[in-house]
Amino acid sequence: MEIYLPIAEMSVHWLVILGMGFGVGFLSGMFGIGGGFLLTPLLIFYGIPPGVAVATTASQVSAVTFSGVVTHWRRRTVDLKMGAVMLSGGLVGTALGVYLFSVLRRMGQSEFSVSASYVILLGIVGGLMLNESLRTLRAARTGQSSFGRKPGQHNWIHGLPFKMRFRESRLYISAIPPVVLGLVVGVLSAIMGVGGAFMMVPVMIYVLRMPTNVVVGTSLFQVLFVTAAATILHAVDNYTVDIVMALFLILGGVIGVQYGVRVGTRLRGEQLRLLLALLVLAVAARLFFEMVATPADLYTVAVGGP
Amino acid sequence: MTRRLLLAAAAALVVTLPAAADEDLVSGVSQDVVEITSNYSGTDLTVFGAVEQPEETPGRDIVVVVRGPDARVTVRRKDRIAGIWINNARAQLVGMPSYYFLASTRPLKDIAPPDTLRRYDLGLDNLRPERALSDGSIDPYVRAMVRALGKQHLYVQNGSGVEMLSSTLFRVRVPVPAAVPRGSYNVQVYLFRDGNVVSAQSTPLFVDQTDFDRRLYAYAHDSPFSYGLSTVLMAVLLGWMSSFLFRRKA
Repeated sequence: MEIYLPIAEMSVHWLVILGMGFGVGFLSGMFGIGGGFLLTPLLIFYGIPPGVAVATTASQVSAVTFSGVVTHWRRRTVDLKMGAVMLSGGLVGTALGVYLFSVLRRMGQSEFSVSASYVILLGIVGGLMLNESLRTLRAARTGQSSFGRKPGQHNWIHGLPFKMRFRESRLYISAIPPVVLGLVVGVLSAIMGVGGAFMMVPVMIYVLRMPTNVVVGTSLFQVLFVTAAATILHAVDNYTVDIVMALFLILGGVIGVQYGVRVGTRLRGEQLRLLLALLVLAVAARLFFEMVATPADLYTVAVGGP
Repeated sequence: MTRRLLLAAAAALVVTLPAAADEDLVSGVSQDVVEITSNYSGTDLTVFGAVEQPEETPGRDIVVVVRGPDARVTVRRKDRIAGIWINNARAQLVGMPSYYFLASTRPLKDIAPPDTLRRYDLGLDNLRPERALSDGSIDPYVRAMVRALGKQHLYVQNGSGVEMLSSTLFRVRVPVPAAVPRGSYNVQVYLFRDGNVVSAQSTPLFVDQTDFDRRLYAYAHDSPFSYGLSTVLMAVLLGWMSSFLFRRKA
């Protein structure tokens, strides 16, 4: 059965949308990520206009992360103070990103900038993750201990001013890095429709040196608010949130994530990260190919566009 | 939904009253409103009519045009810059139809000379914007638009689409695909004799979303903040419900 999307002004098959939501929700439950970076390109490949895909994905990510935040909240693995500090940067970044997106849309470059930011970010993050997980796997085989947080070890972060104490993370660091991290992720989430957990988590572990047990809960907390803000701002600035598509994506997503979590707990951490790295790189490669391959038609037509 | 289908079927049977013709042409459309429902996946309209003179004159032709509301269209051209294809030039076309269907008894070029066709805006090759702003000549942009909308079945030209049921009765099946824009349409029927228009008739037609979809669209545009907030609330509620349901089950 086809359903008509009132904002995208096109008909889609509801099972396809539900299935995409489920599949991406499954992966996000399995890997503990929002999954927006997979959903946006999938929707664009299916023919949804990039603007609608980005904005509506944001709402799906907030639904999927909400159940994760609830779970982590019960386990007390959310560093609320750290989350709030990051969020202060994140909300500014989101507003900035949504504004930037509407400018790019008017210039006719939204499609290019969405693809380009995906290729660059996914390429970098996927490459780093692949490298890291391979090293861990190799280390495990040779019996060496892998990396870990060495207490008392200082890096450049500790030279910055505005120090704050984060009790749950057992950290006493400057507020600048979390705010900047939140800001950058906010901009990206507005432009790419992603929550940004997939790039926030490595920075929180390796740069901020947060303990791993609070990293996922805290990043989900931040992602929830940033994507909720992105949804509202896109609705206000660009009128690109399609609530009918959101409903089907969310229904698929919130069910998929529950099954994903179950499968995820059965796999080992390094294996999970290796799989995720390959997935990320595959998406990046596909998008890069689209950018360099000669298009079937050099002209694109936007009816009713600004 | 069944009720809706029945209504649509009933509407298809009820004929909008044919208007009187100038000379010897009457025509009608199977329905005067097309509703885009939540599960709309395209429909067919039928335009039919009669010419009053039964004799099979070889120079007699019928052309049927269904034209959608004018649209503002932006066409962009990609160029390869540093190995990457990027939008580099554009044209804004004002006054091109958002939907154009043409059916005729014979291919247009056999019916009338080019300048007559151009005068009546007949044929995809003769569609021109009222105003345009473009980088360079507008022709490639207009051709690209005709190509793109043709691919979505929004621009159709069928040189044998007018079906003669008898020597005087004709019928045209007009496919209305899922992607049709909303607005007021115009059905025009032209009667040609030896390359000249001897009679023409026009009937309005409306395409609209059903109440629910139209209200959502209006809601999204009139109060975008509360629309966005409702989407988020829906997301959070569904997320919460799922975690609650699955915790119970586990």
